[in-house]
Amino acid sequence: MTAPVNFLSSVWTIAIYTWREGIRKKVLIGFLILSILVLFGAQFMTAFLTVPRSAGELETSIDVQLKMVKDICVTVISIFGALIAIFISASVVPSEIENKVVYTVLSKPIRRFQYLIGKFLGVQFIIIVNLALMAGLFFVALWVKEGVLPTLLLWSALLTYFEFLIVSSFTFAVSCACTSAVVPTILGLFIYITGNLTEYLKDVERRSGQTALWLDEWTGKLARWLYLTLPNLKHFSLKTQILFLEPNDPPRDVQMMALVIYALVYALAGYIIAYWVFRRREM
Amino acid sequence: MSAVIETEALTKVYEGAVKGQDVHALTNLSIKVDEKEIFGYLGPNGSGKTTTIKLLLGLIFPTAGRMKILGSPDIGARAVRTNIGYLPEGAYYPEFLKGEEVLSFYGHLYGMTGRDLKTRIDRVLDVVGMSRARKRTVRGYSKGMRQRIGLAQALLSDPQILILDEPTTGLDPIARKEIRDILASLRDQGKTLLISSHELLEVELISDRVGILSEGELQACGKLTDLLSDRDTEIEVSGATPDALTRLAEAGIRVGDQVDTKASLRVPGEVPLYTAIERCKAEKLALVSVSPQRETLEEFFVRIIGEDEEKRRTSQ
Repeated sequence: MTAPVNFLSSVWTIAIYTWREGIRKKVLIGFLILSILVLFGAQFMTAFLTVPRSAGELETSIDVQLKMVKDICVTVISIFGALIAIFISASVVPSEIENKVVYTVLSKPIRRFQYLIGKFLGVQFIIIVNLALMAGLFFVALWVKEGVLPTLLLWSALLTYFEFLIVSSFTFAVSCACTSAVVPTILGLFIYITGNLTEYLKDVERRSGQTALWLDEWTGKLARWLYLTLPNLKHFSLKTQILFLEPNDPPRDVQMMALVIYALVYALAGYIIAYWVFRRREM
Repeated sequence: MSAVIETEALTKVYEGAVKGQDVHALTNLSIKVDEKEIFGYLGPNGSGKTTTIKLLLGLIFPTAGRMKILGSPDIGARAVRTNIGYLPEGAYYPEFLKGEEVLSFYGHLYGMTGRDLKTRIDRVLDVVGMSRARKRTVRGYSKGMRQRIGLAQALLSDPQILILDEPTTGLDPIARKEIRDILASLRDQGKTLLISSHELLEVELISDRVGILSEGELQACGKLTDLLSDRDTEIEVSGATPDALTRLAEAGIRVGDQVDTKASLRVPGEVPLYTAIERCKAEKLALVSVSPQRETLEEFFVRIIGEDEEKRRTSQ
């Protein structure tokens, strides 16, 4: 085989192996089952919460019920999907170091960056399949309820994946320096949470400096630094549009291509950090 | 014979979190492993055996010194890696994979595909005696079977060098014997084996040369026949009296077990056997038997490590 084919073959082998092993992780399966249960449960829960008292209220009630279902489902997909992405990204490399599989793999004619690309791709396969499962269920449920193809949901799922790509790449980078999944999981959650709150960071920066206290000034500086460094994950949410637009409307005021490039740049940065950490890591 | 593995003043220091707490895992290690030999790499826990192996495989990086594998200082080169098979101690293989799937995974990492890969998998499964269990998942494998699959993955690329870390540890006597036979047959096929082990008897049975490591320093290295050649001779005598035995002891002959007037005497290498026998005759002792005592590798190992520990205690 030629060198490029060899390169790709090895990367693909590691990615598929990572995917096969990853989907068997009990925690991941637990998250997935729980999220699917909540997605189903939301349909029944909202029906009880919005019982119409008169015939006139029926139409309004159905509309409110649908909005609640959408709200719950989009939130569930986002939260459980993020948890799965963080957990799997945080654990694939440390667990292989712990069980010594990495010894047998890296003693083969494999370069460390190949190994990392394979692992990273495997993680992305897992995230994509989980997201597709959850979004697919929601898609079918909405289609049945509303009678039109909810294409807006597909755009939302696509952007949600790129949101997870950013979170997973940084979690993965941190995991390459760690011996267990605990620290990268915590940092992954930090990135996910603060990444969704970056608008507040701007607010904090704006309000700082009103007193002469050094703490006030430094809080403002820190908020500005975090705002500039952390990805703004709020851009990837189409939740409001899913709630208030028609299900088959195209997304509005969203620069899809710009967001994809934005996510890819962050993911590349994450991978570069991962490789930089891992290339001289002692096993 | 040319050396296929060569280290020169190889040193590895793990930096401690606090200054002065550095761990000197390996100090100035210079060894050569010749082609087509079995080199037994021995040492107590923490002596630096696994550190050496990890250095040779590029899993960790040396603090100082040089390494060459198959004459190449670039130990990460594809040609070098393809020619090294490695079996780590207590390796894990995914439980959900079948034996042949494990090998297929590793085979793909070598760039093997299709019929070539299948033929090679058939071959190595046959070598390690796992052909019948190839369709079973690793979950159902015994410890010995897992070790054989590990050995099979190390053999996949038909490498010139095999580096095996504790290949028989934790196995029952039958599995040990089977693994030992496989290793001996690999040597017969012209492979070079570097075996790190605690199982001294196993190593003694199959190794051509050994290296003994203590606290990261090489204490002894050479052919077993050379290292264990400085032998004592055991003489059994009858009619021994305490006075006679005292006089023999003064002449440098060690007195061992005594039952009634029978005694076992140990003649060290520096005392000529003829002189010792003459002395016994002069003391009017009857010779029951004279047998050369071969020092076992275990005795040699314990002595070398003991001497090293004593030296370190004295120097402190």
